[in-house]
Amino acid sequence: MNHEEWLERAEIYALGALDGEELSQFESHLAGCSLCEGRVRETRETLTVLPRSLAQVAPPRSIKEKLLDRIRAETVVPIRRPPQTKRLWWGVGSGALAAAAVLIVLGWNLLSTRRELQSLQGQVAALQVELTKQEEIVGFLSNPQVRLVSLVGLPPSPNASGRLLWDPVNRRGLLLTIGLPEIPTEKDYELWGIAGSEPVAAGMFKVDRQGRALLRLPGLPEGKVFDKFAVTLEPAGGVPQPTGPMHLLGSL
Amino acid sequence: MGNADNPIDLIRRMADGDREAFGSFYDRYCSLVSSFALRLLKDRSSAEDLLQEVFMQIWRQAGSYDQERGSPEAWLINITRSRAIDSLRSKRRRDRSFVSTEDPGGAMAQQVGSVSDPEPEVKLTVQGALAGLSEAQRRVLELAYLDGLTQSDIAARLGEPLGTVKTRMRAGLQKLRETIGKQWS
Repeated sequence: MNHEEWLERAEIYALGALDGEELSQFESHLAGCSLCEGRVRETRETLTVLPRSLAQVAPPRSIKEKLLDRIRAETVVPIRRPPQTKRLWWGVGSGALAAAAVLIVLGWNLLSTRRELQSLQGQVAALQVELTKQEEIVGFLSNPQVRLVSLVGLPPSPNASGRLLWDPVNRRGLLLTIGLPEIPTEKDYELWGIAGSEPVAAGMFKVDRQGRALLRLPGLPEGKVFDKFAVTLEPAGGVPQPTGPMHLLGSL
Repeated sequence: MGNADNPIDLIRRMADGDREAFGSFYDRYCSLVSSFALRLLKDRSSAEDLLQEVFMQIWRQAGSYDQERGSPEAWLINITRSRAIDSLRSKRRRDRSFVSTEDPGGAMAQQVGSVSDPEPEVKLTVQGALAGLSEAQRRVLELAYLDGLTQSDIAARLGEPLGTVKTRMRAGLQKLRETIGKQWS
């Protein structure tokens, strides 16, 4: 397949019409091709002419008020994160390493908490909710039965890696990734717990510009022994069985 | 100091928690999102819900917006379309599950054929770039972009070979690009 054909697929992908095998092949290709990424971006810009050509309909005025009420009540104010610190945490011993990674995350959360306190004095209740979440993470780390699973990057993103803190007794976990490619809004990364050869959906996530993400796993079903974990790229909202390319894989 | 009305500046201010910037951004784009949502979902109540969810997502993700990855308008439109198409496809899957499984081909044809006409006030107005497209090109672009059909769905719906559908899509996009390019030059 010559590259012009990939660029043709890029246009149909941007239109949202690519499907089947062509879609999965293109998504694997797109993960490492800046030319196709550029063509997708350019085509999306072109396509804005379609909604702009619609007769404009003003929404009811009450919607703006509802939205303003909602953002006042938001528990987390959007935060511009500080530049990433050196990736020291990826090279140290496993237990200390995982703890260091989570400390970085907690540090960010703490920064956001300080800003909220300064600018949103009326949202103490919301901050308490956030604090509870952080305490949950710390409590998780102090659990001696938690095991560390290293996930390595596969061909779509060979430079990516991940660490999963997995509690096999309570069937809960915490996944941290780095180096995964950023993805469009219509896609999610999906984590899978694999029991033998049976994949079980374990949560979806997106990543920031450095390919980082922190995902709390929901309680996975009982009666299965999970010995592998994998991350695939799937349609936004997730799918019950994996369909997209696998980006990360690790075994207990 | 940036321009207070520049959408990129508004997004930056939203990323810092500026609710006034959110209000200005909403005022600027709410009609665009509203009409697009109504055209995609063809239901006023669902479109109003979508409008709210899109702007909440904009508020929450303002800090991750990267202008090198697209204009604010393309970002907003992409979020709107992506959420609407997820909802449409999920609804079609649910609808399909109520159709007899003895005739999967018929079930697919039925659900693909169920795309209804938009409400009169949200039809595309044939102007500018769109006026340069042939009817066949405009039809495949609308079915894909506005009705959320994939290339295979469109081929089945129109009874045309898949290759023909792809060719029309690419030719239509090429025409749009050329016309928009001329408008800006």
